[in-house]
Amino acid sequence: MMVGKALSSDFLKIRRKGIWFLVFLGSVGLLAMQALNFGLRYDYMIDQYKADLWKGLIGEIFSFVPIALYLGATLISSQIANVEHQNNSWKQLLALPISRASVFTAKVLLGFIAMGVACLILSAGTVVLGILLKFGTDDIPYLTILKLSFLPYLGALPMLALQLWLSLTLKNQALPITLGITAAIASMFAANYPEFIPLSWPFLSFISEAKPALPVGAGIILAFVVYMVGMGHFRGKDVN
Amino acid sequence: MGGYFKILASERLKMSRSFIVLLLLLSPAISVLVGLMSNIEGADRPWLVLLGTMGMLHALLFLPILSGIFAAFICRYEHNGGGWKQLLVLPVTRTGVYFAKYTVVMVMLAIIQLLFLGAMLLVGTVKGIDAPVDWEIIGRCLAGGWVACLPLAALQLAVSLMWSSFAAPLALNVVFTIPNMLVVNSAQFGPYYPWAQPFIATVPGQAMEGGGFGAMNLPFENLMITVLGSFVVFLIFGWTYFKMKEI
Repeated sequence: MMVGKALSSDFLKIRRKGIWFLVFLGSVGLLAMQALNFGLRYDYMIDQYKADLWKGLIGEIFSFVPIALYLGATLISSQIANVEHQNNSWKQLLALPISRASVFTAKVLLGFIAMGVACLILSAGTVVLGILLKFGTDDIPYLTILKLSFLPYLGALPMLALQLWLSLTLKNQALPITLGITAAIASMFAANYPEFIPLSWPFLSFISEAKPALPVGAGIILAFVVYMVGMGHFRGKDVN
Repeated sequence: MGGYFKILASERLKMSRSFIVLLLLLSPAISVLVGLMSNIEGADRPWLVLLGTMGMLHALLFLPILSGIFAAFICRYEHNGGGWKQLLVLPVTRTGVYFAKYTVVMVMLAIIQLLFLGAMLLVGTVKGIDAPVDWEIIGRCLAGGWVACLPLAALQLAVSLMWSSFAAPLALNVVFTIPNMLVVNSAQFGPYYPWAQPFIATVPGQAMEGGGFGAMNLPFENLMITVLGSFVVFLIFGWTYFKMKEI
C-alpha cells in the first residue's frame, strides 16, 4: 500500500520534531491542571462532589476538553505541515513515484493518529489521577472515561481535517492558526449554539448523553467531506 | 546600537503583507460582538462594566496567545531556510536584532490595545452610554494590560528563538494559557503566573458585579512590581541566550 509506506516515512520524519512531545504535553497538561485544581483545594472539591467523585472529576476535565481538542488540532496540523514547509521539501516529496492522494492521506492519517494517542493518554491518565486522588478503585466508570475523550474527538474531527488541509496547502501558517484559535475560543460557548453548528459537536457529543449519535456521526461525515475536498485541492495545487 | 533602527525597519517590512492584519483585528472584532451582546442596562458605571465584559476574553485568552503568536511570527522568516545566517552577517549586532524583534512584538500588542479601546468606544456609542468615559481607570487598565504582556512576550521570544519550529513555541504558550481560567481564581498564585498577568491587570474588580473574584482586587502596584521584575529576568535570559546561540 502506497499510503502505508508514506505513513511509515511520515512517522520517521516527525521524530524529534516535537509532535509527540505536544501530544504528551497537551493531554498530561490537562490532567496536571486538574491535579492542581483538586490537590490545592482538596477538601472543598471533595465536599462539592461527594455524591459522585468520579463524575465530578470527569466533569471538571471535560470543561477543558473541547478547547484543548481544537487547539491541539490546530497546532499538530501546523507541526506536521511544517516538516515539509520548513525544508522546502514538497517538491522532492511529490517527485517520488507516489501519488499525491497518498501523500495527503498519509499526512491526514498521521494527524488523526497523533490526536487519537493524545485522547488515549487523557483517558488512561484520568483513571490514574482518580486513583491518586483516592477516589477508590471499586467503581471506576471506564466507559464514561473513554467517552470523555473519544466522543469529543470524533466531534472535533471536521476541524482537524480542515486544519490539516489548510496547513498542508498554505505555507504561511498565520491563517490556519488564527482560524484554529478563534474556533477554539468560540467553542467555549458551545452550550449556546444550535446543534447544527459544528463548533458545538465536541461539547454535545459528551454532554447530551441521550443522543451522541448525531454530533458524532455528523462529525465523521463532515470530516470525510472536508478531507475529500482538501485532497481535490491538494492534487491540483502548484508546488514550488 | 548595532543598527537597531535599521533592523526595526526591516522587521516591519517582514511583518507587512502577511496575514498579520487578521491577527491584529481578531480580538477587537470579537470583543465588539461580545460587547454588543452584553447587557449593561442600569449599570452604575457602564464603561467599567463594558470593560469587564469585553476585556474578559481579550485579556484572559487573546492577549497571552497573541503575544506568543507574534513572537513566533517574528522569528519565522529566519528559521525558514537559513535566514539567521543571512541576517547576522549584516553589519548588525545580535543585541540590536534581539531588541528590534522584541520592539516589533510589543508594538503589535500596543496596536491591539488601541484597537480594543476603539472597539470599546464604538460599542459604548452604539449602546448609547451617556455617562462620561472613565479615562483614568480605562487608560490604566489597558496600559496595564499591555505592560503585563512584557514578561510573557520576552519569554515567548526567547522560546521562539530557541526552537526552529513555528508551532512548538505556540503550543507551549497555548498549553499554559488554558489554565488561566483556573489560575485567575487564585489570589495566591495568579499574580505570579505570566499568562494570567494581562487579565489581572486589565479587568478591575470593580468592573464585575459583586466586586470581582480571586486575584482581581489585589493592589495594582504590587502586580506591576511582579510584572516588571519577571520582565527583566526573562528579557535578560532571552538576550544572553541569543547572544551565545550557535547559528
